[in-house]
Amino acid sequence: MSYFLQLVVSGIVVGSIYALSALGFVLIYKSSRVLNLAHGQIIATGAFITYSLTVMAHIPIFLSFLLSMIATFFLAMSVEKIFLRRLIGEPIISVIMVTIGLMSIIDGLIYLTPFGSENFSFPPFLPEQPIIYAGISISYTQLVGVIITFILIGAFSWFFKKSTVGISMRAVSDDQLASMSIGVSVPRVFGLAWATAGLSAAAAGSVIGNITGLNFGTLHAFGIIVFPVVILGGLDSLLGAVVAGIIMGLIQQFASGYLDGNWGLYGTANVLPYILLLVLLLFKPHGLFGTHEIERV
Amino acid sequence: MSANRWLATGNYFTTYQEEQRIFFTALDRLFCSLLLAALFIWPFFMELDSKYMLVIDNILVAVIAILGLNLVTGFAGLISVGHAAFVGVGAYTVACLSRVIGDQHVLITHAWPLMILISGFMGAIFGGIVGLPALRLKHLYLVMATLSFQMIFEWTIGFMDFFNQGQTIYVGRVVWFTGTVGRNEHYLFWYYTLLVVVVLCGFAVRNLLRTRYGRCLVAVRDNDRAADAMGMHPGFTKVYAFALAGFFAGIAGAMHAYLYRGVGMESFTLHESIQYLAMTIVGGLGALTGSFFGPAAIKILDLQVEVLAEWALKYLPSTMNLATALRPLSFGLVIVLFLMFEPRGIANWWRILRSYVKLWPFRY
Repeated sequence: MSYFLQLVVSGIVVGSIYALSALGFVLIYKSSRVLNLAHGQIIATGAFITYSLTVMAHIPIFLSFLLSMIATFFLAMSVEKIFLRRLIGEPIISVIMVTIGLMSIIDGLIYLTPFGSENFSFPPFLPEQPIIYAGISISYTQLVGVIITFILIGAFSWFFKKSTVGISMRAVSDDQLASMSIGVSVPRVFGLAWATAGLSAAAAGSVIGNITGLNFGTLHAFGIIVFPVVILGGLDSLLGAVVAGIIMGLIQQFASGYLDGNWGLYGTANVLPYILLLVLLLFKPHGLFGTHEIERV
Repeated sequence: MSANRWLATGNYFTTYQEEQRIFFTALDRLFCSLLLAALFIWPFFMELDSKYMLVIDNILVAVIAILGLNLVTGFAGLISVGHAAFVGVGAYTVACLSRVIGDQHVLITHAWPLMILISGFMGAIFGGIVGLPALRLKHLYLVMATLSFQMIFEWTIGFMDFFNQGQTIYVGRVVWFTGTVGRNEHYLFWYYTLLVVVVLCGFAVRNLLRTRYGRCLVAVRDNDRAADAMGMHPGFTKVYAFALAGFFAGIAGAMHAYLYRGVGMESFTLHESIQYLAMTIVGGLGALTGSFFGPAAIKILDLQVEVLAEWALKYLPSTMNLATALRPLSFGLVIVLFLMFEPRGIANWWRILRSYVKLWPFRY
């Protein structure tokens, strides 16, 4: 039983990070209908910025966490301005392919730095002894990570529901022409959507980096695992991203806890989400909370 | 058709048959035959270093794969982020069989054309299965379907003992009428085989695009509702496009397996899929000639990047692996720049050149 609960706890930890990663992806999709395949690379960039600020510039970790979020905010905004702004109105297929190109470019740029090939880990700033309660252990880093994640998710949902910018983002996602006619600048909203996505990606990256250590492969894999998460949650639902993130974390933990080692299976946690994705696409493509668009072929 | 069959100037079509011919003018046909003849003859006159011969063979393998990817992405308008996985399906069909029955079995060494065909059909089956969501959904979701197939494929190969966990599985040397193809003539033999297959596939695609089965791909891409009203089934058309792409990818994979005499995981990763997409975009989406220009351009770029990395290593600390960094960087830049400034690819430059010749002797 305690093994089961342990899996549940670590599933929730992993899942909340998935939720945070998926948040930025959903933000971009919701406002501009672009699938951002370079999201994992932005996550990695954010994590590396945090690391270099903490370790090389000796800035306290929470401050560098914030600074890296600000940096990726502007980075993602300029990415949108340079590459995607001029593709507004082009067919969506070429916009998606531009993000594929971006993915490759950022990959290359990161490989140019030492971060591409070596592993790093954040200096410990919390007690290393895990909290053990009724046989279930959770480390302080994980606990703080989950708390930060939920604070950020709360902040984002407030931002979307209440603030003027958030409301204009929702307006643009609903109807571009109508929102233009009431004075919302659509390009600005696209820029802001990318910027907030970058911000949340940096947060996700830093949390992941603290929990699992910095490895480029692991970090940019988060950009791909985001796909099953957002499909399960519904492509354009923030709540869906959070719920589906946690479900996906649980599925992965149960898979590696119960399936691995039996019947000659290994690493099932890396494949189950994608099998689920294929099945979902066939039977429930709008996910748990997504809008049921009438998009029949 | 007017009297002058050599120039396009002053000619107009009076029947549908004329409009759908493979070569519009005799000049086109002459040019194509001369080009083919040159491609077949040049190895008799000059001998290339085996490194460059391998690059040329690689280009031809990629051409076959890109013919398929261009069908699904260019003509049918569906992005496939898992094309390398389909190529891998073809390659692993050969590899698995050679693992089960032994890599010197007569089926592998003598009946290799049959193996290549079987691999093509395996690719088509997997393509069709992955394309199934297309019955309900549009291209956004198909990106995810192909991406997840890529991930599932990588996991299956990487974690299963049967596939040697992604390590190389050997495939035997093939036997031709002249006996076993030895080490010295290996690349040359596969150059000719690949060339024949490329020509067959190229004409197959060109012919396909003249028939209703090819034209319905374009119709569904341009407007699926109109296509539906015209009596095509958009969903089945998309699944069929995926199956076709899988077929070409499977053939390319089998040829790859025979060319390298072994199959390993590293040739079928997500990175390779992106490279295939880059080839398609650079060549030109929805243009048959693009399927030839794209792979050539990207492979040559790849070669140049390696040269550049070697040159730069003289001036930089040798701990850096510059080639692994520069390769994705250059592919990404090429994709983005082409999409931003020349979305119709190199095929468009070729078209401009041709339209100049076409109007000759008049200026416009």
